[in-house]
Amino acid sequence: MSSSTIQVTDSSDLSGQSTSRLVLQMARRDIATLFRTPWIIISRSLAFIIQLFVFAYLISGLVVKFPGFFPYYAVGSVVSVVASISFIIGYDIFEEAEEGLLDYLLTLPIPRREFIIGRALGGAIRAMIYTIPMFAIVAVLENFSNPLSLLAAVLDLFLLAFGVTGLSITVAVSVRSANRFDVVLALLELAVSRASTALYPLAFMPSYVAALAPFSPVTFAADSTRAALSGSSLDILGLAGLLAFVAIFLGLGATFYFRRLEGGVYA
Amino acid sequence: MIGFDRAGKRFGTLDAVKEFSMTIQDEEILGLLGPNGAGKTTLMLMMGTVYRPTSGKISVNGLDVVQHPNDVRKIIGIAFQDPRVDGILGAFDVLNWHLKMTTNLDKVEREDRVEKVLRAVDLWDARNKRTWLMSGGMRKKVEDCKVLAQRPKIAVFDEPTAFLDVPSRLLMWKMIRELRDEGSTVIVATNMMDEAERLSDRVAIVNLGKLVAIDTPEQLKGKTKGGEVLELTVGNGQEFPRECLTQFSEVQEVNQENNKVTVYLSGGRLLLPKIVETLTNRGVKIDSVHLKEVTLEDVFLNYTGHRLE
Repeated sequence: MSSSTIQVTDSSDLSGQSTSRLVLQMARRDIATLFRTPWIIISRSLAFIIQLFVFAYLISGLVVKFPGFFPYYAVGSVVSVVASISFIIGYDIFEEAEEGLLDYLLTLPIPRREFIIGRALGGAIRAMIYTIPMFAIVAVLENFSNPLSLLAAVLDLFLLAFGVTGLSITVAVSVRSANRFDVVLALLELAVSRASTALYPLAFMPSYVAALAPFSPVTFAADSTRAALSGSSLDILGLAGLLAFVAIFLGLGATFYFRRLEGGVYA
Repeated sequence: MIGFDRAGKRFGTLDAVKEFSMTIQDEEILGLLGPNGAGKTTLMLMMGTVYRPTSGKISVNGLDVVQHPNDVRKIIGIAFQDPRVDGILGAFDVLNWHLKMTTNLDKVEREDRVEKVLRAVDLWDARNKRTWLMSGGMRKKVEDCKVLAQRPKIAVFDEPTAFLDVPSRLLMWKMIRELRDEGSTVIVATNMMDEAERLSDRVAIVNLGKLVAIDTPEQLKGKTKGGEVLELTVGNGQEFPRECLTQFSEVQEVNQENNKVTVYLSGGRLLLPKIVETLTNRGVKIDSVHLKEVTLEDVFLNYTGHRLE
């Protein structure tokens, strides 16, 4: 490498560097890590198939009070998986902060707000890529073929993923102890997924779960996705709930993030 | 030009950096010399807009780091002390992504630059090996390569040759000098005296979050009293009779740290026999004697009262 071949980067060189491009690059980084471990997608898809064809078939035969439990459970499983995978970004960010990688990312020429959006977007797209094979299996199995319905369902799932990544980032930057972080995130994941209508209908839930379930973002997504796939009218309430969930937790995530950064607690 | 104007950073009750004022000239290599915990990394992270200063001002090429953080980030590149790379990615992908984020190079230019840098540091053959599988030295090279490939206006290296073998250290110094010669301002934080002395145009000595001294290595050494240093190792636990030495007009200063005594003096060659005789007569057991010219280590000891370890 000789001095005659490489020029020092002038600040004006970056004037054409659009923020949206940087957001996408930030998101691509999170997505790239997924493609570096494709066996995770394969193994989780296989686990999903086994769960669907063994557990769900067996249970749907036992459930007599609720005809059509299998398709209900199949769609709900996909929604649950989206939520579960979206939580991973929080673990990533917590680990990056502990390992100091976050300091490096914060030196890159991307505004803080866009940085957070990029991370949340990356986490959400990663969850979607991860879940698409499972969603395809369910779509084929249940003969969901209306493109608009499928598109609406994917939108519901994406909004859920985007909101959950925001929630996960909020927790990652709010909780400082690694052990406490693991417990809080695991409990939260359990609460939003299990206290929801993803895997069982509201009418059959114990009262203490039924009281919480209508407020879970997973419920919004599950109900809205089922409505979209069944071709019935748009679930406005579910969509509105999801949008509010995204806005609240991306906003909260950003606020906590800024506060934590300004306090210099990553030292 | 980079300016620190009474800059400070407080973490809770700890002042990591306090009342720090310094100016770094364009296209110079400034060595930040100080022990671990002196505040070097905090200074660099404030300059890089990762930490916001709690007091004072820092400007980078006229841009205030608090008011224009993103503009500052566009002209700065930091290679960290501990490699900050995605372990799951190979060196090529790490550098390629870094350049995507920090430059406007097109794909061909970017990949060409990554290849040149990786070949230069002998990592081309290992370009696809996941960095978490690499040795400490290889990972450190990848970290340094981020800035060497980026070619920023302000290049910051935190202990750039830690974990590197001697040939790699010399190569890294050469590449850093080339960066300066092409127009970058380079800041190198180090706790290695030879690195600071051989690489830097100027050296800033930092201790306990404060600037202790700043000048060229030669000027710093020249300012040190006497110009020569006599190092004595005396018997353990022995009370050292300092006045035995300060009676000589050639002796400027005497410092003692445990059983090591450092004497700043002039005309040491002529004075040495007299000093040994005087101390022996006072019953001081001398284990070793070493007379030498002033080094940066002596400068550091002289300014801070302790050795850089």
